[in-house]
Amino acid sequence: MSIQKKEKFSTEILNIKDIGQLIDKITEKLQNDVQKVLHRFGGVIGISGGVDSSVTLALSALALGSDNVLGIMLPEHDSNPESETLARKLADKFKVKSIKEEVTGALEGFKCYERRDKAVKQIFPEYDPTTYKMKIGVKESGLYSLLPPVFSLTIITPSGEEKSKRLPVNEYRQIVAASNFKQRSRMSMLYYHAERLHFAVIGTPNKHEVDQGFFVKYGDGGADVMPIGMLYKTQVYQIAKHLGIPQEIIDRTPTTDTYTAEQTQEEFFYQLPFDKMDLLWYAFENNYSPGEVSPVMNLSEKDIRAIFSNFQRKIKSTEYLRMSPVRDY
Amino acid sequence: MENLTNNKQKIKSYIIKNTFKNSNNILDSTLLFQEGYFDSMGFALLLEFIEEEFKVSPSDDELIEENFESIDAIAGFVSRKKTAE
Repeated sequence: MSIQKKEKFSTEILNIKDIGQLIDKITEKLQNDVQKVLHRFGGVIGISGGVDSSVTLALSALALGSDNVLGIMLPEHDSNPESETLARKLADKFKVKSIKEEVTGALEGFKCYERRDKAVKQIFPEYDPTTYKMKIGVKESGLYSLLPPVFSLTIITPSGEEKSKRLPVNEYRQIVAASNFKQRSRMSMLYYHAERLHFAVIGTPNKHEVDQGFFVKYGDGGADVMPIGMLYKTQVYQIAKHLGIPQEIIDRTPTTDTYTAEQTQEEFFYQLPFDKMDLLWYAFENNYSPGEVSPVMNLSEKDIRAIFSNFQRKIKSTEYLRMSPVRDY
Repeated sequence: MENLTNNKQKIKSYIIKNTFKNSNNILDSTLLFQEGYFDSMGFALLLEFIEEEFKVSPSDDELIEENFESIDAIAGFVSRKKTAE
């Protein structure tokens, strides 16, 4: 038995040493999984113009052939129109057929917007969804504390004034539950096309989204295979560059594209920029001590311990999202 | 003093009822967040309980470990807020 020596922790530790080799490994496995494990002819992918779905589409085209991949744009009332333009550009670049399925009608049927806006009005009675914008988020400083973050609701008035209040639990849950109709409606549409074509649904979550529970159960978490589910975000970017993903997509700040006001994923969930998040998560997962991490990240050992505790809490509190239905009775 | 003991008991009962944890394992000094008693939702519910039960509204600046890390800390925080009113 050989004991592998642990690499010294550094800011370069997540640099992919041989990108071509990693891409070959992923695409070979993806081809095998879709064809031999799932017994499907190809794959459908929801494309948002973000880097994760773009890399997933490019890898799928390499693995399955462009003709066996369908990219689906799934905009709704609150989506940024730029998402569609970029998604179309991506599909053209990789010669993948793309279609657009607007899900606003389905969401109106579910009363997604009405249910969400009702909860927002409980907090801000003046909120008018036709002229105001809204988002929910957490404070960045929260990550250095052992206390879990508390969500706040922000509305933006027609004149651009921002107002924020801490979100009471009932309203928070209603806003999130109503908004999750978006991801779940998209998942239904993806499976419609997948079943129609005898294709698999190729999911787009990256490692952080899966491990930290930043996905909607049976929404964007509903897929047959997740080829970038083990990649850190900075590694997704490395592959994006190597594969020639359009620069506008690479340069775009990752957003939730869920609420009417612009909101980055960092602001909504992660509380840290991706380059720092990746390194800290790697250190946490690979049992580097706060003493080894502190000088590299320029953070105190106390802060690192707090961040690691937060990571541990996130894994624990989102376990339910990753669980299959319990049936060992 | 009696109030403080009483409040600690109320907080402990709330925690046991809402976290499904074994009452024998929780002491007044147990570090609730370090031990994983509460996630984000649980903490928000705890804040609502404190507001309703003790008529105390913690501000955003007061949401720090020193005020919420244990039953002792929460009871102390409630008592300080009540005195300041």
